[in-house]
Amino acid sequence: MLKPKPVLLHKTGPQVMQELQACIGCNECLLACPALAEPITIDRLNHETLSGPISTPIAQFARSCYQCGACVAPCPVGLHRDSMMMWLKMRLLRSEWEG
Amino acid sequence: MQSFGEERGYPLFFLYKNRARVISATVGILSILGSGLFYFWYSRTSSDPTPDSIVGFAYAIVGTSLVVLASILFSLRRRARKRMIGQLHASLDWHVWMGLVGISILFMHSFGNFNPRSGTYALYAMVALVISGVIGRVLDRVLPRQIAVEASKALTMQGDDRLENISQQLQAIVVHNTQELRAFPAATPAAPFAGTPPMPTSATLGMSGGAGRAKTPQLTSSWDLAYISLEETPQEVRQGTQQYRFVPDRRSALAQPGALIPGAQEHLTEMMEVQRAMQREQVYRHIIRYWRLVHILLALLTVGLTVWHLEYALSLLIPTLLPH
Repeated sequence: MLKPKPVLLHKTGPQVMQELQACIGCNECLLACPALAEPITIDRLNHETLSGPISTPIAQFARSCYQCGACVAPCPVGLHRDSMMMWLKMRLLRSEWEG
Repeated sequence: MQSFGEERGYPLFFLYKNRARVISATVGILSILGSGLFYFWYSRTSSDPTPDSIVGFAYAIVGTSLVVLASILFSLRRRARKRMIGQLHASLDWHVWMGLVGISILFMHSFGNFNPRSGTYALYAMVALVISGVIGRVLDRVLPRQIAVEASKALTMQGDDRLENISQQLQAIVVHNTQELRAFPAATPAAPFAGTPPMPTSATLGMSGGAGRAKTPQLTSSWDLAYISLEETPQEVRQGTQQYRFVPDRRSALAQPGALIPGAQEHLTEMMEVQRAMQREQVYRHIIRYWRLVHILLALLTVGLTVWHLEYALSLLIPTLLPH
């Protein structure tokens, strides 16, 4: 608890795409998430993360995510779901700026 | 009900309703109202509205139990192997409401007695704990959005690293300028600057033996040969004659930083902005992480002070309960 871990910053688009392709869909990250209220499927989350329209439950989840990092440790492949959620947040933000 | 419409925007303040949140909020508010009404009725009608009355003890037990449950249940649920999606979120809502209801009931347990005793200290620690939790929830709402704002500044519209992009452009500028310098024609001799005499060559010195003595040599040579001619050399300054020397004009565009490397200064400024954005992102992430630590440390302090108060309360209570 008191041991300082390095803070990982955001990832670029190609890095996020790489991580999405590496995801095996085990759902461990979603089970560990304290911000996720409504059940969503990992496939839909992965599909909508990188590009394309964002549906309401995914958008609500993305806005609710507070980057606690609880989703990183359970991942068996060592992916960073919090970085993918940050990518979704940036897309929502940019859509607001474009609007 | 799921909607498949496209969502846009990221507002700073939003509140999403779901079943668990509505239930926990309803139970929490009703508990506070109910216990509050009973407190007002009891304090007006009873002759013994004190923390060590039967109602005072009841409030203490219920309040402490709620605070203990608030601190334990979420941690247990987080470590449980079997859970469903959304259960942790519901546990967190219950953690918040049990904490709020517990602290309200413990305030009622005090019946307005805030003497400097262990119980008061434990209550103050509990208030600080709840306030840190509320601040933490606010930070969890605001800071991730700010992180997204800063991260957006560090990425291009296509999602690539902006620093790398700028570095490549700067490199292209440097390469271009280097090529421009190299392309400077080497065949033509460099024209001398005004005031600097050209280097002497054998032709200019006119070294042609005795026949050359009658003629004045065409001297445009350096100072060590100046004594041959009485004409002034460019380095000699005649008094009263205005001489112009090159003095850098601070108002000139050439004096601006980066003027000799056109296009680079804008990129360097952009690079600094990106670096500042990344530093701010790091600060926000550290705040999120370390505020949790503050909340946990306050919880430990509260536990310590509460145990101290319980020990004090039991030391008063046990002798009265034991038969003499």
